[in-house]
Amino acid sequence: MPAVSKGDGMRGLAVFISDIRNCKSKEAEIKRINKELANIRSKFKGDKALDGYSKKKYVCKLLFIFLLGHDIDFGHMEAVNLLSSNKYTEKQIGYLFISVLVNSNSELIRLINNAIKNDLSSRNPTFMCLALHCIANVGSREMAEAFAGEIPRILVAGDTMDSVKQSAALCLLRLYKTSPDLVLMGEWTSRVVHLLNDQHMGVVTAAISLITCLSQKNPDEFKTCVSLAVSRLSRIVSSASTDLQDYTYYFVPAPWLSCKLLRLLQCYPPPEDGAVKGRLVECLETILNKAQEPPKSKKVQHSNAKNAILFEAISLIIHYDSEPNLLVRACNQLGQFLQHRETNLRYLALESMCTLASSEFSHEAVKTHIETVINALKTERDVSVRQRAADLLYAMCDRSNAKQIVAEMLSYLETADYSIREEMVLKVAILAEKYAVDYSWYVDTILNLIRIAGDYVSEEVWYRVIQIVINRDDVQGYAAKTVFEALQAPACHENMVKVGGYILGEFGNLIAGDPRSSPLVQFNLLHSKFHLCSVPTRALLLSAYIKFINLFPETKSTIQEVLRSDSQIRNSDVELQQRAVEYLKLSSIASTDVLATVLEEMPPFPERESSILAKLKKKKGPGAVSVNELEEGKREGGELNGGGDRGGDSSAIAASNASTPSPSADLLGLRTGPPVTAAAPSAGSLLVDVFSEAGVNDDGFLRDLEPPTESSDSLLAEGPGDSDSAPPSVVSEDPAPPLPESNELLNKFVCKNNGVLFENQLLQIGIKSEYRQNLGRMYLFYGNKTSVQFINVQAKPVEPLIEGGAQVQQVINIECLTDFTEAPLLNIKFRYGGALQNLSLKLPVTINKFFQPTEMASHDFFQRWKQLSQPQQEAQKIFKANNAMDTEVLKAKLLGLGMALLENVDPNPENFVCAGVIQTKAQQVGSLLRLEPNAQAQMYRLTVRSSKDTVSKRLCELLAEQF
Amino acid sequence: MMHFLLLFSRQGKLRLQKWFLPLPERERKKIVKDMTTMVLSRKPRTCNFLHWKDLKIVYKRYASLYFCCGLDNQDNELLALEILHRYVELLDKYFGNVCELDIIFNFEKAYFILDEFLMGGEIQETSKQSIAKSVEASDMLQETMEEYMSKPAF
Repeated sequence: MPAVSKGDGMRGLAVFISDIRNCKSKEAEIKRINKELANIRSKFKGDKALDGYSKKKYVCKLLFIFLLGHDIDFGHMEAVNLLSSNKYTEKQIGYLFISVLVNSNSELIRLINNAIKNDLSSRNPTFMCLALHCIANVGSREMAEAFAGEIPRILVAGDTMDSVKQSAALCLLRLYKTSPDLVLMGEWTSRVVHLLNDQHMGVVTAAISLITCLSQKNPDEFKTCVSLAVSRLSRIVSSASTDLQDYTYYFVPAPWLSCKLLRLLQCYPPPEDGAVKGRLVECLETILNKAQEPPKSKKVQHSNAKNAILFEAISLIIHYDSEPNLLVRACNQLGQFLQHRETNLRYLALESMCTLASSEFSHEAVKTHIETVINALKTERDVSVRQRAADLLYAMCDRSNAKQIVAEMLSYLETADYSIREEMVLKVAILAEKYAVDYSWYVDTILNLIRIAGDYVSEEVWYRVIQIVINRDDVQGYAAKTVFEALQAPACHENMVKVGGYILGEFGNLIAGDPRSSPLVQFNLLHSKFHLCSVPTRALLLSAYIKFINLFPETKSTIQEVLRSDSQIRNSDVELQQRAVEYLKLSSIASTDVLATVLEEMPPFPERESSILAKLKKKKGPGAVSVNELEEGKREGGELNGGGDRGGDSSAIAASNASTPSPSADLLGLRTGPPVTAAAPSAGSLLVDVFSEAGVNDDGFLRDLEPPTESSDSLLAEGPGDSDSAPPSVVSEDPAPPLPESNELLNKFVCKNNGVLFENQLLQIGIKSEYRQNLGRMYLFYGNKTSVQFINVQAKPVEPLIEGGAQVQQVINIECLTDFTEAPLLNIKFRYGGALQNLSLKLPVTINKFFQPTEMASHDFFQRWKQLSQPQQEAQKIFKANNAMDTEVLKAKLLGLGMALLENVDPNPENFVCAGVIQTKAQQVGSLLRLEPNAQAQMYRLTVRSSKDTVSKRLCELLAEQF
Repeated sequence: MMHFLLLFSRQGKLRLQKWFLPLPERERKKIVKDMTTMVLSRKPRTCNFLHWKDLKIVYKRYASLYFCCGLDNQDNELLALEILHRYVELLDKYFGNVCELDIIFNFEKAYFILDEFLMGGEIQETSKQSIAKSVEASDMLQETMEEYMSKPAF
């Protein structure tokens, strides 16, 4: 290439570079460099003024030394001097040095800025470009302050050369990214947007990067770019491969610009203008069609450029998420790529499908590729492709395929690359938690995880399984059994020992009944692993042992023996020694009560974001896990974890739709209240499954009702003419606020299940209810107290016609999902004498209805009492007696409450103690109660303890009104 | 946008580094180290893309040199691969059958060519002809300047 004088005469530089290359060792290289640095330093400091050429040469050498990885702490001044040279080569090297080496050294920046200012105003396009490049390279705040005002002017000025415009656009973009506050587009906005129409493709290509960035920040001001971008795109897509001359890249017209246009459109929702949208959809279809055409060249550059546009178009389709047809086509296209022979395409298809999986239109279509993806996970030779496959499986996982996907990921883990194992473990743990239908599956999965990839199971994972087991009573027994079995393996991972130690220490009692896993067997099993474990695990095991002494007094002597042995009590590790000594002492001197208190079962963990998910987020960095996914995870995680705190005290029990016939002398319009769903926010929170059905009359129930009169005159004959045509649509849908007395009415039912809930001169509502565990059924009887027949009863759940004096029955099924405070509302609307009657009552469903009585001996009672000793677990009230303090009445009321009344427990025979477990779908809440009457003062002191603070509080409130 | 572009040899020697965002020197060295170890340990015929922290890494080997760049998460990998290719083409056009030595001895030219092509991590000009023209123009300018230099009168 003789036309170019490479190195342009800087012989000294070439010699120096050769010298460095000839150095045989690192030491020799450093020696040569130090020699050169000394030489340059003396030249710069010398008395003789250097000519421009020498300056340039030395600055270039410094640059080379810097690029070799050595520090350069001088020469900046000389470089700045070069900037103001009017010799192009000197200026160019000066700018290069500044671009590569300058950090915001304020002294220097001022000088540099001066030189830049001169060059910008030189009107010499080459100099202007050099200056703009320098600004973009350094991009400091000082430069933004100096030039942010000037550059937009250069960008839109009519007489600016195209090449300068390109540099100005990107330079401005750079400044906008550093200091958005300094770049004020205001008046320039529309002229910048119109650069999309520029004739010069290079200008459009550069400008669109700027426009995209500005649009992201100020979408409204730039929204006119959408239609311009669509028409530009449409022109490119429909052009022949030769139309765009040098902007055609391997037969693909303007691939960079096309991708940037598609990217810009992703800043906006689909165009509202039908014509624009139509044109865009046409473009997208053309791009999808082109993918099916035979390639115009066998070169990889051709297919890369073409597919780059295709992937960008698919991103836009996914972004719009509104064209099911395009989404499915996109999915099919990606499906083809999944089996393409190009590894790059398989990689990208897996990656794109991850985002496609989150669209509701294409989620199912993505799922059809599950076998291919699983196959990729098993057979791809490239670890980064396998990783994408694992990501996609994670993204396409839902309830329907969770078991399959988790199983595949687990089996892949056995051979997975070390680099991705930890992430895989986290993902399996999250999926198992998120989609656990039964928790035994969850426990199995996590234990398998530990078995297969124990080394990669981070602390978060095994903490989490313990949190979940502790918070979910229903899985504790299974967990104890499974972990006991897993520990039987001759070689099991230390993480398994940790989980095993913790779970058996807490719940070993649940499997102790089986002689094969008697307390001593459990202990021996754990202890057989002890000596192979690290110090922290041993410490955990020692704690498990002391818990055993509390759970199973019969193991005490064996365990004390172990604690007493020299290897424990004289262990060289301080932590172990201390635990051994303290536990030994504790077990020998403390009374059973003290021991039971100290070693009580762990309380449920508070609701929080899954620690594993947090870890995965941290690992992948922001942006790797979509916001959706996180929120979903949070939600699901919460649900899994017992759903405890959420919705607990809101009126989350759904309002029941009930209808009431109201007697009147004339026509009666009857409407139901709002349907159940309104108050039932999500599956995760409290929900009472209320459905009503027309029931049969139960004449025996409403004893209070007057017997039906003989008159059964039809309404048509009887009613005054004005009211029989009252249109039901007049009835407002708004439920009335609950009656002021509804709380009082509610209180009547705390200790009884049957009775009259409400009565006025027209209507009587009777209640009969029964509860078992967390389910209940309530019969509502609406009695017509008048002698007139009701017709036009609009409510679906009840019979459409109620005879005068008759009654209809409505059945409500109730399920308690989690604990709650507010009773569900019953809204009743009807028309009476032309006036709307709107009545809201509280359904007498209170948390105590779901009590299961628990009988226990005095010892157990006080042990549990002490276990519930956290301040928030207790609620206490002292109140004046409202009724006579009759022991028998009190007993009857307490029994009506649903708890077991425990005899001979409290040392004071005057006191009452009760125990029971509240059954909700999410969890069980054990509760204890103590009522201490003081006959002299006519006062009571009521204390409630339960494993959930909201429950204690609510029970206390409810009961305080009863005595 | 592109965050950085690195050229390194099979032995892990860095031949060119371009940073489009200001980073402290220590961090740059860390990135260079991570990139060379990661990319050089890849087996042949694996794909050209990697994830690293929250960046996409795209790399390609040309003879003895690896070209490697770090991209924003939403950037297009295939297109980045073609950016690398276009840069190689530009070097090739300028040096004529470019090899690693050309870049070692004329590193400043490699930077100048890159500056004509990319700016602030975004593509400035894709046309090979336009870029070649402006690089040539500056060489012309250079030669004129050399002439001026030999005439101390200027």
